[in-house]
Amino acid sequence: MNGGATGLQGLRIFVVEDEALVAMNLEMMLEELGCAVVGPAMRFDAAEAMLAEGVAVDAAVLDVNVGGRPVFPLAERLAAAGIPVVFATGYGREGLAEGWATRPVLQKPYLAADLARALRRALAD
Amino acid sequence: MADVNFERLFDALSSPHMVIDREWRFVAANAAYERVTMRRREELMGRGLFELFPNEGEGGRRLKASFSRVFETGETDTVAFIPYDIPRPEAQGGGMEKRYWTATHIPIRDAGGAVAFLMQNTVDVTDIVRLREAANLPFRSGETQLLERAREAEEQHRALMAESADFRRLFQQAPGFFAVLSGPDHVFTFANDAYARLVGERALVGKPVREALPEIEGQGFLEMLDAVYASGEPAGGEAMRVMLRRTPGQPLQESFLDFSYDAIRDAHGRITGVFVQGMDRTETVRTQRRQRLLLDELNHRVKNTLASVQSIASQTLRSAPDLATARRSFEARIMALSNAHNLLSREEWSSAELRTLLDNGLAAYDESRLELDGPAVMLTPKASIAVALVVHELATNAAKYGALSNDTGTVGLRWRVAAAGEGLSVEWRERGGPPVSPPTRRGFGSRIIEGFVAGELGGTCDVDYAPEGFSCRLALPGDAVLGVWR
Repeated sequence: MNGGATGLQGLRIFVVEDEALVAMNLEMMLEELGCAVVGPAMRFDAAEAMLAEGVAVDAAVLDVNVGGRPVFPLAERLAAAGIPVVFATGYGREGLAEGWATRPVLQKPYLAADLARALRRALAD
Repeated sequence: MADVNFERLFDALSSPHMVIDREWRFVAANAAYERVTMRRREELMGRGLFELFPNEGEGGRRLKASFSRVFETGETDTVAFIPYDIPRPEAQGGGMEKRYWTATHIPIRDAGGAVAFLMQNTVDVTDIVRLREAANLPFRSGETQLLERAREAEEQHRALMAESADFRRLFQQAPGFFAVLSGPDHVFTFANDAYARLVGERALVGKPVREALPEIEGQGFLEMLDAVYASGEPAGGEAMRVMLRRTPGQPLQESFLDFSYDAIRDAHGRITGVFVQGMDRTETVRTQRRQRLLLDELNHRVKNTLASVQSIASQTLRSAPDLATARRSFEARIMALSNAHNLLSREEWSSAELRTLLDNGLAAYDESRLELDGPAVMLTPKASIAVALVVHELATNAAKYGALSNDTGTVGLRWRVAAAGEGLSVEWRERGGPPVSPPTRRGFGSRIIEGFVAGELGGTCDVDYAPEGFSCRLALPGDAVLGVWR
């Protein structure tokens, strides 16, 4: 995929994903879309620490379950900072907590095109 | 009691009663008997029954046999459906009218205990016979037929009594719960064993539902009972949730019931109560919930595994020089992942033992060139998969460029846990291979090691490309380790 054609090039994307292989693939997809990856944070406390320090990002892709902990407290902090959020999960939309059900969701496994679509939707909302 | 005049009481009984002695002569008869036989008492007393009312047919023989049985055995006997014609009053057209009777013969003992008299109570069952005839069309008339039926009826009566007891036992012990509630307050008049188990073996009979099961107030059931009692319309539910005290003195427990409420009506169609029946579905509902959870978890795991496989595929393809190499690398990585899954599923995804993981992952290599040393360590599922894939990448690399690429090199693999609750350190040290130089680019293998150890497990990974041999030191945090045996 050509980074110049995605409409996402140059964006900084915060990634929280607890599976190393999945995180690596997501990182690769984002790079192909022309995005810069912040993270990936693979553990809840690591993600929390990064947020506490303050991350300058345009959007975030969050795994719903991070090492057995729901990601929603992190999603709330990002949303409060006005940062659009895309969820990624093996559970599908049913896995989303109340209040988040209308946000873009990526059902694992997903393609780069699905990721691009979800990010564009999140940024447009 | 002294004031009761038994003679007047006998006379006042509305159905015909009479008493005969051992010679079957009348010694007493009440007013109802006088009416149906159209004989006055003075005409009856002292006279033989069959002298006054000759009965040479089958009916007479059955009556005589019954009298003999009562006088011999001292037990009550019943003769059902005896045909006996009586004269029709002139006002109703005169002539004879065919009527049917059921007679009950009760022994009356003297002071010495011997059966001295027999009391007969007759009930006019003509209407019942006519109903039976109507119900048994086509009906062949004739007394023989009827008598056959009479015998049948007596047998049925006896069978019914036995059956009724059987039915009660059946209801009592049935796996479903049954209860009979009576009146507008829903008073328990019957509750079987299953019902008693459902409510912690509480005493129910004689109590209104509200009093017997106070915890169901406000759960909608009393309102349903009231509605069924008022309207006669049945009601019920499937897998309905109810909080019940299933053990005395214990908190209420969530239960799920399939049940129905049906109105009970008397002979006139008036509602007298509610019949409750149902099944306790609590275990089924719980099992279904557990299965739902397991299925969700399985689905989640499958999707995540597919995402991992997707990642291995796309990154292997990206970094391989040609398709044949890509295919071999891809298959080997999938097998490493699959081996780790096998070990975990053997332990129901609770843990895997490090030594077993390493033995499995290195099974393809010459044992004599591997030196494994360390305590028995149980790893979490996450750490198990990480270690399996990391060791796979290290071994593949050694076979390609390092100590396992010639005939003499060796790999030492040592692991230690400093103290319980502390992290695990693993050292991979290659010796005797070709001279080592640092790689020019970072491949998928080293990214896997970095990603799993530093990223996923929150540990550290130090690699050293010393000329005498590659080495790698991994430090995994304490939460990757479930237990250690030295």
